[in-house]
Amino acid sequence: MASKPQSVGQVMRNAWERLLVDPTLGVISLLLIFALIAAFALPVFFGGNNIYNLVGASITVMILSIGMTVVLISGGIDLSVGAVMALCAGVAATVIKMGAPLIVAFIAAIIVGIAAGLLNGLFITRVGLPDFIATLAMMGFASGLLYIATQGVPIIGYMTGEYYMIGGLQPLFGPVTFPILVAIVLALVVGWVLARTRLGAHFFAAGSNAVAARQSGVPVRWVKTQAYVLSGTCAAIAGIILAGRNNNVPADLGTGYEIQAISAAIIGGASLMGGRGRVLGAVLGALTLALAINIINLAGVPSSYQKIVIGVILILAVIANYLSELARGATVRRKAKRLSSIAA
Amino acid sequence: MRRAIALGSSAAALLLVLAACSTVGGGSTPSGNGASGSASCGSEDQQAAITEAVAGRTLKVGFTPPILSEFYTQVEKAAFNRMYELEECFGIKWEWSRQGALNDAHSGVEAVGIVENFISNDFDAVFVSSAAPHATMQEIYKAGSEAGVDFYQFNSTEELENPSQADDPTAGLYTISNIGYDDRWQSGYIAGQYLAGVLQGEGQIIQILGPSGSDWTKLRQQGFEAAISEYPGMTIVGSADGGYVRDKGLTAAQDLLTKFPDIAAIYGENEDMALGASQAIDLAGLKHWDGTEGIVTIGADGLISGMESIRQGKLTATVDVNSVDMGRTMIDTLFEHEILGMTVAQFIRIPTVVVDQTNVDWAEAKIAASQAGPGKY
Repeated sequence: MASKPQSVGQVMRNAWERLLVDPTLGVISLLLIFALIAAFALPVFFGGNNIYNLVGASITVMILSIGMTVVLISGGIDLSVGAVMALCAGVAATVIKMGAPLIVAFIAAIIVGIAAGLLNGLFITRVGLPDFIATLAMMGFASGLLYIATQGVPIIGYMTGEYYMIGGLQPLFGPVTFPILVAIVLALVVGWVLARTRLGAHFFAAGSNAVAARQSGVPVRWVKTQAYVLSGTCAAIAGIILAGRNNNVPADLGTGYEIQAISAAIIGGASLMGGRGRVLGAVLGALTLALAINIINLAGVPSSYQKIVIGVILILAVIANYLSELARGATVRRKAKRLSSIAA
Repeated sequence: MRRAIALGSSAAALLLVLAACSTVGGGSTPSGNGASGSASCGSEDQQAAITEAVAGRTLKVGFTPPILSEFYTQVEKAAFNRMYELEECFGIKWEWSRQGALNDAHSGVEAVGIVENFISNDFDAVFVSSAAPHATMQEIYKAGSEAGVDFYQFNSTEELENPSQADDPTAGLYTISNIGYDDRWQSGYIAGQYLAGVLQGEGQIIQILGPSGSDWTKLRQQGFEAAISEYPGMTIVGSADGGYVRDKGLTAAQDLLTKFPDIAAIYGENEDMALGASQAIDLAGLKHWDGTEGIVTIGADGLISGMESIRQGKLTATVDVNSVDMGRTMIDTLFEHEILGMTVAQFIRIPTVVVDQTNVDWAEAKIAASQAGPGKY
């Protein structure tokens, strides 16, 4: 049956409504505002390699925030991503130093990341520990393990020609680096899983209302475990890349990254209450954080303002998300009213 | 009385032995950094007298760096080597406990808890390097001293707040001694002077600094700016926070190089940030200093990992703040005060040096020898 053609006004109204309820509305607005301010106030912003540098600086947090978004959607939170990332970086570097090929080192690192995520998931879903406590414990465990293994001395001497490329210190082709490619592929795959697969729907269902989801046949415990495994995998990938970018793996490599990953996901529209978030939002959230620091550095603003700016961005994003929620509620009510009037 | 005289003369002899151990560029025993473990113990009489003073005692010592890092590991290893030598010579035993902050190196909150634990566990002495506020740490030292624990600060920033020792013998501090270097004039200032020398007093500089509010940053900055202000042709055009880590140093340097592509030099307040800046130079397709042209990059710390970059020309220079002598001097000072009852100086300053390709060989060899030393506790 052919649908009734819509008027231009109707199309515009629908597009506006879709935009209003889009969880990434807040971060898109912030990113646009920042980019506009930077473009007018800092002529150098679009000059040289700045945009390329900006994207490169955001990749680690971006990859972490993709995994974090899935965890937040499923109703959890992962405080261990920074420490697991650092541990995986240490594993990759150590295995390379032992003479193994890069691929073996990377597989070893990813296995450690998956294991950490799996342990997180099992402690939460099988032992019944709160997400916050289980992942906090994993943060301490992973961080402590790296300190013990390194005795506080950074791991050095593992860089090879290929690893410079993997770390993004040499481009693959044109301005495209390996980390950028990895982030794009990861975002597309995870975005597709969330939007198009049953597992994706289960993540949202588990985070929105775990009891209702369970009653509807969703294996909530297994779904949450998979979310943590994905987060651990993302942490491992980020660790492999960061070890290449950093040229060394100090024991405190992951410090603070969990907060940045959570911030990027929240700025991108994910909710701490679960059931809401988008991979695109996380990607843009990570870019927004990097952009804020980039502008501060370019403008010569004292670094003490960085934390204030990031705090303000978080608040603005949460407000934008709240307004978006209100708009979504209003839209749903309006549609329901329209449908009921048609039915009547 | 005779016993007191014997001990006094032995103490004086030990001082001579210790002084002999502090050789130029070595900070070491005649055998070199104690790497071989064959320390000079003085004459047989001296050794016997000091051994008697030690009386087989075990010193229970805490070690609290602000973070577990390559630099503090170098300091600790140098300390271990000296402890080993003293144990071999005089029979002193050591009980060593290292507790470094894992998460908050820049606020010092964890360090406060660690030091309080050392106090409640009846340690004889505690070495502390902390980013916690001066007043907070002094209050803890005061309480600890009353409980019988002696405090020695190392690699700290006491010069920022203490009054003059000329007016107050303890300089308002509750520490037995402060072993380190003056961040202003032995680090920041000589880095600035080095840049001025290489660039012949002309050129623009960007700085990659530690977290704002850090006392180390404030002091090194004071010295660096003082040096640059002596050269009207030199200007600091931009600064950014590199968080004392390489990745952030790289990002900060990339941002500043975008804005100031024609700079002559980069000052990294520590070595890791300077190495990050060095990577930024490569990524921007710019040239490192080759003796005639390119960007001069200088850091500060004196790490084994930085020495290799100096050899490769990726890092022009670094201020080696002498982790080896720092560790050894800490133990000598502790021994003199705790065992021999000496009054030691409130401020003990160890020598620092700018290391570049002209002197990297001995600077690296000194640290490497210390790292290979026999001390392990």
